[in-house]
Amino acid sequence: MISHRDRNAQRISALDERAEALHLKHGMGIADARAMHPSIDVVEADPEADRRLLEGLADWCDRYTPLVALDGADGLYLDVTGCTHLFGGERAMLDDILARFFQQGFDVRAGLAATPGAAWAAARFCGDRIVVSGEEEALLAPLPLAALRIEPDIRTSLESVGLRTAGAVMAAPRAPLARRFGSTLLLRLDQALGRLDEAVSPRLPVAPLSVERHLAEPVVLTAEIERLVEMLAVTLKVDLERRGEGARMLALLLFRVDGAVSRIAVGTSRPLREPKLIQRLFHERLAALEQDIDAGYGFDLVRLSVLAAAAFDMQQADLTGEAQDDGADIALFADRIRARLGDNAVLKAIAVESHLPERAVATIPFSEAPQRTTPPKRPDRKDAPPTTTFPPERPIRLFRSPEPIEVPATEMPEGPPMNFRWRRALYRVARAEGPERIAPEWWRQGEEDAPTRDYFRIEDAEGRRYWLYRQGLYGAGQPSPRWFMHGVFA
Amino acid sequence: MATSAVARETVFALRRQIAKIEGTLPERLAAPAGERPRARPDSPIGGTPEPTPDITIIRRGLAVASPDAFLPTGVERLDAALSGGLPKAALTEIHGLETRNAGAVAGFVLSLVSLILRGQNLPVLWIGTSEIFREAGFPYARGLQGLFGIAPKQLLFSEAAKLTDALWVAEEAAKMTALAAIILEIRGSPQRLDLTATRRLHARAQSAGRPVFLLRQAGEAEPTAAPVRLIVSAAAAASRRTIAGPLAGSIGRPAFTVSIGKSRSALPGQFTLEWNPDEHSFEERREERPENSVAVVSASRSRADPAPAPGTVVAFPAVGSFASGDQPSRPQRPAHIGPRRAG
Repeated sequence: MISHRDRNAQRISALDERAEALHLKHGMGIADARAMHPSIDVVEADPEADRRLLEGLADWCDRYTPLVALDGADGLYLDVTGCTHLFGGERAMLDDILARFFQQGFDVRAGLAATPGAAWAAARFCGDRIVVSGEEEALLAPLPLAALRIEPDIRTSLESVGLRTAGAVMAAPRAPLARRFGSTLLLRLDQALGRLDEAVSPRLPVAPLSVERHLAEPVVLTAEIERLVEMLAVTLKVDLERRGEGARMLALLLFRVDGAVSRIAVGTSRPLREPKLIQRLFHERLAALEQDIDAGYGFDLVRLSVLAAAAFDMQQADLTGEAQDDGADIALFADRIRARLGDNAVLKAIAVESHLPERAVATIPFSEAPQRTTPPKRPDRKDAPPTTTFPPERPIRLFRSPEPIEVPATEMPEGPPMNFRWRRALYRVARAEGPERIAPEWWRQGEEDAPTRDYFRIEDAEGRRYWLYRQGLYGAGQPSPRWFMHGVFA
Repeated sequence: MATSAVARETVFALRRQIAKIEGTLPERLAAPAGERPRARPDSPIGGTPEPTPDITIIRRGLAVASPDAFLPTGVERLDAALSGGLPKAALTEIHGLETRNAGAVAGFVLSLVSLILRGQNLPVLWIGTSEIFREAGFPYARGLQGLFGIAPKQLLFSEAAKLTDALWVAEEAAKMTALAAIILEIRGSPQRLDLTATRRLHARAQSAGRPVFLLRQAGEAEPTAAPVRLIVSAAAAASRRTIAGPLAGSIGRPAFTVSIGKSRSALPGQFTLEWNPDEHSFEERREERPENSVAVVSASRSRADPAPAPGTVVAFPAVGSFASGDQPSRPQRPAHIGPRRAG
């Protein structure tokens, strides 16, 4: 038995058959129940866990239709339009759902109807019933008002005027009903009867393409899953070719026998449709997730969905049979690494127009690179000075964030340091070049008053070359400048 | 004469035999220049001694590879010591003794990559652990372009949190022929990067025909499958060369001290190399020789040289700048141009 707190009293919120047999009821106080039967076992309600369980079930119901929606705290809508024939008709499908839930240990009631409202009523008040389109009125008429999915206070006020069944409400004139009980009642009624369309909003976005395979014998081994992926991808390729597209994002759904669903997604940096390559991507992903996927008793349904697709431009092969190498190998390689190690595993450097050294190069994930190959450019001016042939010398390695160094003394106030302490080691400056002054980008928000930087190329006594800068200027009334190590030269 | 030629032939045949039996390293067996056979028995009678081409056998695996299996560094002594250069299709270890040498080590490797990339448009993959990128800095594309001519679009980086992942990426990458070169950078001498791991990398590099450079910052010499191990440290740069001679106090082209730590053919040796960012080539630095002793601009005759400017004269902008190339720097201003007036 499960209790919950309602208006400062512990009340029964759910109970099993044995508790029902003891004449305990939903909503009864725990104190009363304990007085009747001191030996009952009471558990505190955990709505969060209930919610997670329901979502898990919704994931599992994905095997019947991609359109699964949650209904309150204890219900699921499955939009099975066009899916029933895959399971041998409506009755067979309903039986299959009920049987599988029963095997998982759930007590489930289901109804199937042409409208969500009628199905809701059928599931909750008739149980295991299939309502043929057009029979909704006959179904609803004898049912109590609760079957109309209306608010409890509307229901009580309807009951107070003697309308106790849905049939009575249907028979009553509409205009007074709407005036007295609000438009919700008629809306619900019309939706249940199919006079108004009601949309069930699915929990997850529907994949444009997906292929699946039901397995008589559950698979456990990763290698078998990979082989299934390739088989599914062969089917998928036909569909992708018909649409002239390639997959940019793929998801593999593994339905475990006991209801758990694993969802594995991989992204590609260019549209992909080759089954072998799709299989290799999932191979890496599965290898990375080996510990996280618990095959348990095995998976009995494997589905491969295309979550995002993009136009696939065909490559003309030349007569030698070799297509133009346009980096397809590299893209696949990057995708495989990304599948195993995450989005930031392969990076690409892109030059950005900025004179701050750390902003002049952006490192972005490889998969994003094609979209951002052209940096924002100013329109060319005719009288613009010719670009300098000799750009200022830049270090070959740059620290992610400049590291503060201690500079005890400089030769001149604005000059290079004579020695400095970096990472607790003292370096003596043998030679120095500079300064190169780099002003902050004052046009950016929040950087108007940033101090200027004077960069020095430094060579220490052992021939190592560094790039240091002094932030700020020596002068009265200013905070004393700080020194930073920003990079190293070859 | 004839007997020694026959003996030589025998020796070479034996060495060839040994090379065939032993290992799969690319090897170059060349006859020393002085002992080349002067004339062959079937040469025209009384004709001048016919120069015979060097007897060169290079083996890779079981097939005989072409001489361009080696990457010549362009420095004669180093190439001779490495008998032709660094093997192109192999793992090459490059060590820095301390992490603070990372700049020099990276610079040397990038110079080699720059030599490889000549006329190629293939990308270069640089794999590193997060640790080394944090400790030694992330490669900076602007600097690489300026110094080594490697365009940002040719660069791919892979950063892995764990060494295992970095090694996996490297092994996968080493199989690819679509990459020009692979740089794997790690710190220290981890247990995981042992003889087996390097052998795997080396085998993949051999079959793909692409070089893999293993950078070990603060690493120790350990057993490795790489045929060549070089130890690189920074060397003080020469002064910038201006038209009036070296500019005192300036920092010129990058320089490296390279010593051969392991090589099948070379004796241990030390070389000081200088990278020429304009020509994209190495030069070996010997002792400083006077550049051009003749003054380009005649000294002022009427009076003594002007007093030197206070402070040090500093060249800026850097490489091949106008100040160092086209125009004389300030103290050598030609006398016939009048003193510049302020305003």
